[in-house]
Amino acid sequence: MNRLKVLQAWLWCVSLWPCWLSHAVPLDCKDETGSLTQCTSISQEKLLDRVIQHAELIYRVSEESCTLFEDMFIPYPLHALRNQGGNLCHTKPFPIPGSKSEIQQISDKWLLHSVLMLVQSWMEPLIYLQTTLSRYDDAPDALLNKTKWVSDKLLSLEQGVLVLIRKMLDEGILTSSSIFEHTLTPYNEQSPEVLESILRDYNLLICFKKDAHKMETFLKLLKCRQSNKLSCLSY
Amino acid sequence: MYLSVYVNNNIYKLRGPHFTGCRSREQETFRCWWSAGIFQNLTEPGALRVFYQTKNFLSEWQECPDYTRTVKNECYFNKTFTQIWTSYCIQLRSVRENITYDEACFTVENIVHPDPPIGLNWTLLNVSRSGLHFDVLVRWAPPPSADVQMGWMSLVYQVQYRVRNNSHWEMLDLESGTQQSIYGLHTDKEYEVRVRCKMSAFDNFGEFSDSIIVHVAQIPSKESTFPTTLVLIFGVIGVVILLVLLIFSQQQRLMVIFLPPIPAPKIKGIDPELLKNGKLDQLNSLLSSQDMYKPDFYHEDPWVEFIQLDLDDPAEKNESSDTQHLLGVSRSGSSHVLNFKSDDDSGRASCYDPEIPNPEDLASLLPGHSGRGDNHPLVSRSSSSIPDLGVQQTSEVEETPIQTQPAVPSWVNMDFYAQVSDFTPAGGVVLSPGQLNSCPEKKKEEENEKKIQFQLVSDGAYTSENTARQLSASVPPSPGPEQGYQTFPTQAVEGNLWNGEYLVSTSDSQTPYLLPEAPPAPILPPVSDYTVVQEVDAQHSLLLNPPSSQPAICPHSPNKHLPAMPTMPMGYLTPDLLGNLTP
Repeated sequence: MNRLKVLQAWLWCVSLWPCWLSHAVPLDCKDETGSLTQCTSISQEKLLDRVIQHAELIYRVSEESCTLFEDMFIPYPLHALRNQGGNLCHTKPFPIPGSKSEIQQISDKWLLHSVLMLVQSWMEPLIYLQTTLSRYDDAPDALLNKTKWVSDKLLSLEQGVLVLIRKMLDEGILTSSSIFEHTLTPYNEQSPEVLESILRDYNLLICFKKDAHKMETFLKLLKCRQSNKLSCLSY
Repeated sequence: MYLSVYVNNNIYKLRGPHFTGCRSREQETFRCWWSAGIFQNLTEPGALRVFYQTKNFLSEWQECPDYTRTVKNECYFNKTFTQIWTSYCIQLRSVRENITYDEACFTVENIVHPDPPIGLNWTLLNVSRSGLHFDVLVRWAPPPSADVQMGWMSLVYQVQYRVRNNSHWEMLDLESGTQQSIYGLHTDKEYEVRVRCKMSAFDNFGEFSDSIIVHVAQIPSKESTFPTTLVLIFGVIGVVILLVLLIFSQQQRLMVIFLPPIPAPKIKGIDPELLKNGKLDQLNSLLSSQDMYKPDFYHEDPWVEFIQLDLDDPAEKNESSDTQHLLGVSRSGSSHVLNFKSDDDSGRASCYDPEIPNPEDLASLLPGHSGRGDNHPLVSRSSSSIPDLGVQQTSEVEETPIQTQPAVPSWVNMDFYAQVSDFTPAGGVVLSPGQLNSCPEKKKEEENEKKIQFQLVSDGAYTSENTARQLSASVPPSPGPEQGYQTFPTQAVEGNLWNGEYLVSTSDSQTPYLLPEAPPAPILPPVSDYTVVQEVDAQHSLLLNPPSSQPAICPHSPNKHLPAMPTMPMGYLTPDLLGNLTP
C-alpha cells in the first residue's frame, strides 16, 4: 500500500511538473495548420470568461451525469438523497464558507486558490469514477462519455486557473502532493455490497456536482469583481 | 405519521403533522411550512416546533430562528442562517409529547424557486407577405431578488404562449438570455405570453410572470392582391413576347401556311427573266422547244394557221375534190381557228380542249359577225401541209362532234398562199387560184382552184350543197379531182349557209389554166398574184420579195412539216414580228 501511495504521489508530481515550469516554459498552442507555436496572448478578461465557461459546462454535465445515474441505478425512494447534497463528501483541507455574505468577503486570492484546490481534488476521483462506471452492466454510454469528458475538461480548467493565478495574483504555484493523499484514501476501498457501492458512486456524483457549482460561483464572483466592484461587494 | 383508512374501496392516507414544503427565493434565505394534519389539537401555535441541523461540523439541533408572525406555521431562515452547499435537516416536533412527527433534509440550492422575471414586453419583428403571420421578440428582466450579476444565481428562462382563452400552452426552449423570439403567430389572434425562470442545473421553476397580450391586426388584403395582379401582368407580357418571338422566328413557315403562294405563271424550262429581257432569237429558240407555248402564241395571231397534214394516206386526200377540201378544211378550219398544234404533233384535236370549237365560236365565224372578222381561215398552206391536213381533218372529224365530214378534203392541191382576189359585200373573201408552181402533184388542185371560185365566208370556207352543185356545174367537167366536189360534205353549220354568191375572178386569167393532163405549168410569170412582204421600211411601206424567190416557197416534200412557228417561214411575216421590226 505504501508503494502504491508513493507511486500515486509520484504520478501526481509528474502530472504537475509543467506547473513548476509554468514560469519559464510558455504553453504551446496549435494553430490552424496544426504546428505548435507559441500561444497567442489573451486578455485577462477573455481568459476569465473562458474559464467561467469551462466551469459552467462542467457543472451542467455533472448534473446530467447525476441524473442519468439516478434514473438508472437508484431506487425512487432514495432520490431524496440528492436533495441532501451528498453526505460524506471528501473533506477539504480548509472549510469553504457557504453563506453569500461570507463568500463575498473572500478575497480574490482565496477564491482562485479555492477553485484550484477544488479542481485538483477532483481529478483522481473522476478517474476512479470512470473505472467503476465501466464495470456496471447497464451503464449508459452517455454517462460514461460525460464522465470522460468532464475529466478532460477539468484538466483544461486547471490550466486556465493556473494562468489566472499567475496573471492576477502574480505568483507561481507550487502544489504539494500531500494534500491529495488524504483525499484519495476513501476511494481506494472496494465495497463488497452492491447497493453500497452504488450509493457511494451516487454520492460521489452528487458531491462532484456541488463542488462544480462552487467553482462556478467563485469564478463568477471573481468576474463580477473584475468588472464592477461595487455591485458585487456584500451589502 | 400516516394513518391509512379504507373507505369504499379507496384508501385514504391520513396524515399527522408534517412539513408541507421549504422554499428559497434567492438562495439567501428560505422558509419552511408545516401542517398539523388531522391532529387538530396541535394547531395552536407553539404546539409544534421546528428544529434544524446543518451537517457542516454542527451536530446539535437548533430551533427555528424565526417563526413568522404573520404567516401561520412558517419558519423563516434569514441570511445568517442560510448556507448553500450545506445540508440541512429539519424536524417537526411536538415538544410536549416529545414526538418527532416529520423530518426533511435538503440543501438550500435544491429548494430555490426563483421569483418570476419582470418587465415582460414584446416588439414586432416582421409580418409575413401574406399578412397572415407575424413574428415577435419578447423581452424581460431577471427577478430583482436574484443576484445574477454576481453570479450567485445563474438563471435560465422559459417562455410560454397560447392563444387567448385556450387551454394549451406552447412552451419554448430554455433560454439563458433575457429575450426570445416567437415565430409563426397568426394575425387577428390574441396571444398570451408569460415567462418563468429557474436556476440552471436545477429543477425548480419559479412562478410565472404576469401574462402579456400580443396582438397584431390583420392588414387588409390589398397587399395580397397586388402581387397577384403583378404576376398576371408579367405572365401575360411574357406570353405575348413569346408569341411574337415565335412568329418572327417561324415567319416563313407561317406565311406559307396562312398565305400560300399563288403559283406564278411559269413555264417549265423557261426563265421568266429571259422572257422579259431576252432577245428575239433566244425567245424563238426557247419557245420552239415548248409545246405549251405555241397555241397561245398562235391564238393571238389570227392570221396564222398552221395545219399539219399527215401524208400517210394520200389516197384519201385525192378522193375529195378541191372544194370539198376547201370546205372541209374550212369547216375544220373553223375548228382549226382555235386548234393550233405543234408540227411534230399528228394533229389530234383531243389534246387541246379549248380547240374544240364551241357553237358560239362557230357562230362568230359566220357572216355578219363582224367582231370576229379577223379570223379568216384564208390561209392556205403549202402543199406539203395539205396532205397532213386531210388526215388531220379526218381525225378531227372522228373526234370532234361538229365535224361530220366523211371525206377528207385535202389541200394538197392547194398552194401555200392564196391570193385574195376580192371581197364580197357580206365580208367574204374571194380567193383566186394559187399560182402555178413546179410541184406536179398540185396540178389538179390548181386547176380546180382556177375553175372554181368559191367564196370564203368569214367564219370559214364552206359551201352548201346547192352551191356546190353550182360550182361543179360551172366547172368544166374534169376528171378525178372534180369529182371530189361531188362528195363534198353536206355539212350544215347551224343553218348558216353560204350565201351562194361567188364571183368569178377575172384575175384568175392571170394564172394559166392547165388541164390535169397538161404538162406541168411553167414557172410563174414574173408578176405574181402575191408577193411576200419582206420588211417594212421607215415609211411604213412594205418591201416585197422578188417573185423569183417564190418557187422556193413551194415545199417539195409533202411530208415536210411546217417549220415551227418561231422560225420565221420565208417570206411570211407575223404581226408580232412585224411589231418587232417596227423601228
